[in-house]
Amino acid sequence: MAGTVITITSGKGGVGKTTTTANIGTALALLGQKVVVFDGDVGLRNLDIVMGLENRVVYDVIDFVEGRCRLRQALVRDKRAAPGELYLLPTAQTRDKSAINPRQMVEVCEELRRDVDYILIDSPAGIEQGFQNALAPADRVFVVTNPEVSSIRDADRVIGLIEARGKGPAQLIINRLSPARVKKQEMLSVQDIVEVLATEVIGIVPEDEAILSSSNRGVPVVLNGKTPAAQAFQDIARRVLGQDVPVVEPQSLSWWQKLLGIS
Amino acid sequence: MGLIDRFFSNKPNAPSTDTGSAAAARQRLQFVLVHDRAEIPPATLNLIKDDIIAVLSRRIRIDREHVSVQLTYTENESRLVVDIPLLTEALSDAPGRARGSSARPATAPRPSSR
Ligand SMILES: Nc1ncnc2c1ncn2[C@@H]1O[C@H](COP(=O)(O)OP(=O)(O)O)[C@@H](O)[C@H]1O
Ligand SMILES: [Mg+2]
Repeated sequence: MAGTVITITSGKGGVGKTTTTANIGTALALLGQKVVVFDGDVGLRNLDIVMGLENRVVYDVIDFVEGRCRLRQALVRDKRAAPGELYLLPTAQTRDKSAINPRQMVEVCEELRRDVDYILIDSPAGIEQGFQNALAPADRVFVVTNPEVSSIRDADRVIGLIEARGKGPAQLIINRLSPARVKKQEMLSVQDIVEVLATEVIGIVPEDEAILSSSNRGVPVVLNGKTPAAQAFQDIARRVLGQDVPVVEPQSLSWWQKLLGIS
Repeated sequence: MGLIDRFFSNKPNAPSTDTGSAAAARQRLQFVLVHDRAEIPPATLNLIKDDIIAVLSRRIRIDREHVSVQLTYTENESRLVVDIPLLTEALSDAPGRARGSSARPATAPRPSSR
């Protein structure tokens, strides 16, 4: 087996990279895949929190790189994502970016690749050293953006950097889209964003209240199935597997759909 | 291609038909991306405009108020579009923009980073 490494990054911070990594990783495992979600943000560890696994972290990837444990020992198994297998590879909270370099990132992923189908790296936002680390082992790169001018501008920059590093073409995840606001002309539409970035969209994730309570509880939304964001992440996971799931811009519900509870 | 062309050829202050803030977002996004990708900040463009006006004014009469120097962007090239209305005897005292003839646009290749 030779697993695929997918790096999830962005230009701007706070757009939803960690949420996306946790949910696509979990969704892939729910579809039967063997998956590692790898926290690539040294010193700002938070993938463990979003996944609700913070109490089970013993070793991290820096312990492995510095010879204090075997890679297996640093992996935290998440048993909720049957029938597949899901593992978290945490990073260190109290170190800085220089604790690991791009070559070591490649070595870690080479070792993981032998045993799993997918490795998803939660990357820091673009341009800093941490981003170079997360990009080095990538086979595919997803860029997360919000439908907002500053976020799209920074995404454009990072898409260019990814291409310049020979890791392109990146694919785009538009997160926190609010169909009702697009309809009212208060928010950029998917079409607006695609026209300027000229990058293939692999998923559109709506703004969803369930995300906040899910990260409060440490339970990725895809584990509870039915919310709009959960469905969007499940669709992305199927597209990753090569299934033909068309990307459509979510529509706001009309009053009668709301009445009937159709989603 | 057609859509991208249209998107980027809007004048920065073209009137917009929709009233929501999405229209403003589209306009501002277009503007920053064109300058980011060409690696020419808006301030540099203003300096270039002043230079062009100074050089041309030494030889010919131009309508300084209505000179426009803009970056446009299509899928495979960035373009510096310079529009210089000339002042002619018959029109020099007419109000507003004189009927102008345009200078040929100067073409620059897209930066290699994108
Ligand atoms: N689709 C969404 N709907 C609502 N809130 C979201 C959505 N995606 C992310 N968020 C919220 O946005 C914030 C930043 O998300 P996070 O995944 O930590 O971003 P990043 O890792 O890019 O910094 C979090 O509070 C998260 O709960
Ligand atoms: Mg994060």
